[in-house]
Amino acid sequence: MTDLNKLTLKEAREGLLSKKFTAVELTQSCLDRIKSLDKKLNSFVTVTGEDALKQAQSVDINLPLGGIPIAVKDNYLTKDIRTTASSRVLDNYLAQYDATTIKKLKNAGAIIIGKTNLDAWAHGSSTETSDYGPTLNPWNMEHLPGGSSGGSAAAVAADETIISVGSETAGSIRQPASWCGVVGFKPTYGRVSRYGVIAMKSSTDSPGPICKTVDDAANLLEIMSGSDPFDATSIDEPPWKKPELRQNLKGLKIGLPLSYFPPQTQPEVKEAILGAVETLKKLGAEIIELSDVLDPKYSIAVYTILQRSEVSSNLARFDGIRYGHDRSFFGTEAKRRIMLGTYSLSAGYYDAYYLKAQKVRTLICQDFDNQFKKVDAIIGPVSPTTALKIGASEGQSMFGEIQDMLVEPSSIAGLPGISIPCAFDKIGLPIGLQIMAPQKREDLVYQIAKLFEDNTDYHLERPKL
Amino acid sequence: MNQNIFLVHHVKPVKIVRHDKTMKTTPIIGLEVHVELKTKSKMFCGCSADHFHVEANTHTCPVCLGLPGALPVPNKTACEWCVKLGLALGCSINEESFFERKNYFYPDLAKGYQITQLQKPFAVNGKLDIDGHEIRINRAHMEEDTGKSVHVDGSTLLDFNRSGVPLVEIVSEPDLISALEAKKYLNKLQQIIRYIEVSDADIEKGSMRCEPTVNVKIETDSGEVVYTPLAEIKNVASLTGVMNAIDFEIKRQIDQYQSDGVAKNSTNKTTRGWDADKNQTFLQREKEGSADYRYFPEPDIPPITFTKVQVEEIRKTLPELPDQKITKYKSLSLSDYDANLLAQDSVFSSAFEKALNNSANLLNGAIRTALNENQSEIDLNKINATHFQDIFSKKSELSSTAIKQLTLESYNSGTNPLTFAKDNNLFQVSDTGALEQFAKEVIEANPKAIEDYRKNPLAIGFLVGQLMKVSKGSANPQTGKEILEKLLK
Ligand SMILES: [Zn+2]
Repeated sequence: MTDLNKLTLKEAREGLLSKKFTAVELTQSCLDRIKSLDKKLNSFVTVTGEDALKQAQSVDINLPLGGIPIAVKDNYLTKDIRTTASSRVLDNYLAQYDATTIKKLKNAGAIIIGKTNLDAWAHGSSTETSDYGPTLNPWNMEHLPGGSSGGSAAAVAADETIISVGSETAGSIRQPASWCGVVGFKPTYGRVSRYGVIAMKSSTDSPGPICKTVDDAANLLEIMSGSDPFDATSIDEPPWKKPELRQNLKGLKIGLPLSYFPPQTQPEVKEAILGAVETLKKLGAEIIELSDVLDPKYSIAVYTILQRSEVSSNLARFDGIRYGHDRSFFGTEAKRRIMLGTYSLSAGYYDAYYLKAQKVRTLICQDFDNQFKKVDAIIGPVSPTTALKIGASEGQSMFGEIQDMLVEPSSIAGLPGISIPCAFDKIGLPIGLQIMAPQKREDLVYQIAKLFEDNTDYHLERPKL
Repeated sequence: MNQNIFLVHHVKPVKIVRHDKTMKTTPIIGLEVHVELKTKSKMFCGCSADHFHVEANTHTCPVCLGLPGALPVPNKTACEWCVKLGLALGCSINEESFFERKNYFYPDLAKGYQITQLQKPFAVNGKLDIDGHEIRINRAHMEEDTGKSVHVDGSTLLDFNRSGVPLVEIVSEPDLISALEAKKYLNKLQQIIRYIEVSDADIEKGSMRCEPTVNVKIETDSGEVVYTPLAEIKNVASLTGVMNAIDFEIKRQIDQYQSDGVAKNSTNKTTRGWDADKNQTFLQREKEGSADYRYFPEPDIPPITFTKVQVEEIRKTLPELPDQKITKYKSLSLSDYDANLLAQDSVFSSAFEKALNNSANLLNGAIRTALNENQSEIDLNKINATHFQDIFSKKSELSSTAIKQLTLESYNSGTNPLTFAKDNNLFQVSDTGALEQFAKEVIEANPKAIEDYRKNPLAIGFLVGQLMKVSKGSANPQTGKEILEKLLK
């Protein structure tokens, strides 16, 4: 069999269980694809190769992810596989323990084929700030994949893996999924344990799946989710379960915030979202224009202050005493964030920056509460533009915040959201539609996304590589 | 550029040298006390909190080593004990508290920050009464201990066994006015902590650590009032050390002020170390006031709520505390001295209360029972306290039946119990000489029983019975048995 690597999770499971192919063959096909493509694409920082194959030989395929190759963002700690967070500071760091999610994936029989590239320490939205070089966009290698989970999104889009996991702090799952034309599902904050994921902005870090279809992402989320005694902020609930599928969207009110189309929005993006609105209407949803949603630009400021503050503290443990490399190995972006965060937490500035940002954060949460009294879910573009060109982030210290402005408010409020492909621009780059719902309402996000996908073909398109 | 700006004559502050004999000085002392809780596990992970004489780095895990990705999960018992301690110190408990990060660099601080409480600690506004002087307690907050740096042959080794051990920090207001009062405060704190059994509070072992902050209020006879610069004293490892360090510091500050006239301001707080060998403090760090720990709420731990109901539940677990015991003992007309001494330690006071119980049993057991049988009222005039004392003094020589009998006899006939006991052979003979005599008699008179005993040691019972008979019941049966066994060996 050829092209096993192109299968979705659902197809791969069926093939394995009906013995059309083996887990070793499936893993081998992904590794082959990586071998032929990744020198250029650079989705992976580390490829496990032989170890993955060895694991595939003895795996129990009856497990929920038995024999399924998975690519893991390199900020998840993996015992015995090096974990770098794409920073040279951790160039030769071997974690002593597995992240909770990694444990769950291993217990479910998944085969970790490698660790994917990200912006160093997940600081960015381009994967360009990685100390291991940028990842390219599989749809057009002159463009960026987005970030920070750019490696995971690109690996899925390029069929280097069947499924992948990323993590989002403010857009880092949805934005690269959007730019790479795949499905990125960001769960409610606390739905998936953060234990063992290198902390960036602890108060919004949310691990989640990046896959080829909505169902694949939902199936993976089922396995990743659930309360964790090692994470005091995890939601005290059993693992999330996919809800019943709806026949249509009748009776659902979906909000379309006008403020989610800032002036820099690419016309094709706006067109695509309006096209998606028509599809949702045909499915029976009532679309309500929301004219009073807080301008997402405020989220940029809030996010920047809070994120820098937490980063400056979270990176303090990399003090040069342990982990191999000293602080001179920090890249420019990390240093910039540490300095800004240190400043905003300093005596005399704390009230003006950190405290004020927390107050605005509360306003943003309240704004969502109010909007969700009027509508069941909110949609909009994930990013104002399609994938920008390589080099676009250079010299732009606020690049990420501006690219992510449309996903930042919901991240700050801890809401679940998804990015699904909903169109392509005129040079063939994918456009993502985001669907957001109130906290813990992944079921709504899933139902809308799944019906949209079932009634469109965008997810079937593949980059020509 | 006008170079002259830098040439302006520099005006030196006038040196105020004071030899003012009537100058009045009042020490101002505040105490920060760290207490290590004796919970089984650490504050934010499941590791054993035991670190005293434990092989280095054996009680560690990703959390207390501060490894990437590791997250703190608060120890519920430790939080409750902090609240309990707060309640014992008369604090109010914040309904909602949260942890914060205190950011600073130190090699044995694994994460680059310490998790502690600043804005909303568990317990606030308590007080401790020291001989009628009320010392206000600002707060009792929860935090984690750091690792330990061990210096060996010019290099520094790190031991993280202590990293993450739960600590409660108790901060007093600067209300203490002498080294002696500070010592009494610490003694009392220690007493309370041991009473409620949340820590050993052992200063020598480091499970209770104390950092005094000292300065002096100086009033001259011209009515001028100044304060000397604050000094925080570190590394004091004993109670005597605390007293000596405070005394030294008070004198040093007065001398210093007399020589340089520098008063306290917002930037001249210093940190001083304590050298127990030289019996003096020494300068460690200047400008402590400018340290900036960039506190912010710990995002890894949601706020913690203690509802009023939960607080009351914890309050119910408080034992009677030293002050309450002293009041109680005084109400039993014990002297101040005795009451204080008895309340000093919970083991001691519970021994006393047991003895008190015994007396109560005696009165209620012997007299009440007899009265109830006769259905008569108690006649208080017939209770003779001296007789009770006599009975207690010979308690070990009397069987419990004899004690009851004597008590009743004293009540009914006013007979001196000791005389009565002697007359009626109620004292148990434990004197081995006398008992040996009785035992020999028994052995001679019962050859058959001796044979039985050789075959079956349980047959000793018969011989003991004979011994009791010969001694007319005065022998202490246990001692008698031992002597018989010895003689028959
Ligand atoms: Zn531990």
